[in-house]
Amino acid sequence: MNREIVFRQKFEIQGGDFSRGGEVSCEVKNLLKELGLPAPSVRRAAIASYEAEMNVIMYAEHGVLDLSATPLKIRIVIEDSGPGIEDIELAMNEGYSTATPEMRELGFGAGMGLSNIKKNTDELEITSEIGKGTRLTMVVLTERHQP
Amino acid sequence: MTAKARHPLSINQEKCQGCVHCLVSCPTKAIRIKNGKAHLINELCIDCGACIRYCPHGAIESQTTSFSDLNAFQYKVAIPTTVLFGQFDNTVLPNDILFALRRIGFDQVYELSSVCELTNAALEEYLRDHPQPRPLIASTCPVVVRLIQRRFPSLCNHIVPIEPPREIAAKILRANLSRVLKIPPAGIGIIHITPCPAKMVSINYPASLEKSYLDGAISIRDIYKPICQALRRNEDDAILRRLFPETLLSGIGIGTALSGGETRSLKNHRTIAVSGIQDTIRVLNQVEIGLLKDLDLLECMVCPDGCVGGPLVVENRFLAKSRILGLVSTLGDRTVVENSDIDLLIQKDFLSFQHPVKPLDIPPLDADPVQAIRKANQRNDIIKRLPHKDCGACGAPDCRTLADDIVRGEAAITDCPFMSKEEK
Repeated sequence: MNREIVFRQKFEIQGGDFSRGGEVSCEVKNLLKELGLPAPSVRRAAIASYEAEMNVIMYAEHGVLDLSATPLKIRIVIEDSGPGIEDIELAMNEGYSTATPEMRELGFGAGMGLSNIKKNTDELEITSEIGKGTRLTMVVLTERHQP
Repeated sequence: MTAKARHPLSINQEKCQGCVHCLVSCPTKAIRIKNGKAHLINELCIDCGACIRYCPHGAIESQTTSFSDLNAFQYKVAIPTTVLFGQFDNTVLPNDILFALRRIGFDQVYELSSVCELTNAALEEYLRDHPQPRPLIASTCPVVVRLIQRRFPSLCNHIVPIEPPREIAAKILRANLSRVLKIPPAGIGIIHITPCPAKMVSINYPASLEKSYLDGAISIRDIYKPICQALRRNEDDAILRRLFPETLLSGIGIGTALSGGETRSLKNHRTIAVSGIQDTIRVLNQVEIGLLKDLDLLECMVCPDGCVGGPLVVENRFLAKSRILGLVSTLGDRTVVENSDIDLLIQKDFLSFQHPVKPLDIPPLDADPVQAIRKANQRNDIIKRLPHKDCGACGAPDCRTLADDIVRGEAAITDCPFMSKEEK
């Protein structure tokens, strides 16, 4: 198997721009489909990147989604300049949320974001620095990967 | 399968000026201009008819059933869309229109609102009995079904597996007419009168049936003039038609061709109604990334305001909508279908799809993912070099699509008038 071949594309995400929320993950989803990767993996990657994209829009000033895909795995790194996550373990809990009442009014902030990402990825790494920002590395293995 | 057989749309080569209106209007980027004329890409077209609306030269023609095709049948039956009632001014009552259809050559005309009421009841029952998946997506608009098959294949199992009213009406008639009239089944022609070309495809290539129960579809556009002529021919019987209306319209069913018409009667479910192709695509994108799970039913119609906005209607959709809403408010919640009939048909599984809607994936950049990735990277490099003017002069709707065509081997970078100067 040719391991060298990687598709790579970066996308800008503007914090606070709810009106365009989901556009980047939608494009990620369509690109992955065009690569002919298996539909269930594409769907998982799309759901995970949507949650991550919305986190950037809700909390950060700005973020970049870096997509790389091989026939075996989809890797998405989302890095933002934002407040950072104080207690990552706590944030991973279902139902835990720091969303403001305004965000909740928009239907966000149910505290399912990170746990939903975890559910839809095969590897997840979160690093965060208070006052600086957060970096999420998500990996979805394609079915081809499994023996 | 030839291009003509598969699609109801064809481009009149003489009328086509090779301009860019249709290119840009196509929601699935299925049109290219080659050698100065528009061409349709079959695998991408979803039969929505947006191009018909936007072509300033009337060069895009829809191949619906013509009047003369009806002569093949000994007994001709019309099932008009309820949208037809909105095409004439307020002095023309639904019964006048049904009478006119008989005068112009149909042996029998069956009005659809009762069957719309029936399918609505079946829809409600289906929603109640099937808590998953959510949201379910109504299947009445054949373009939505085609769009899901092609662009959102993972949502095929969200489609409510109940046939649309036109097919159910034809199925009921087909099951009974031949016996009642003592005419062989092949002698009976059942024709839908349609506001859009997509119904023709759903008849020729049904997504959920082995074979359609309909024999064809005549467009409102084609039948409008004959109806107008037949309407006024005999004023003497107007009083009879008004005093003895033979058809009982269903208040629940009459408005189902309007956006929100199906969701209106579903009072116990969380629903939304979406219309217009761009908004439909936007909402289906949301469903595909796992959103809107708290909705029970998503009603999507790709024409603005629903079937009243179909590309083959005559009257402007605002007037047509207002007239049909007038009928809806006059009729209120009047029901005409017996509950026992609904139960019987549901029990017999008479209303269900014969087989599930299957995905018709748009092919990836390459069947081999390694090659597909290589091509996607190449495409990004090409996109960077293109001028981003999206002018359509190369024959593709925008620069990104030209880059896509280039890596798929269907176009060359020199097709771009801005590039060729630079490159040469």
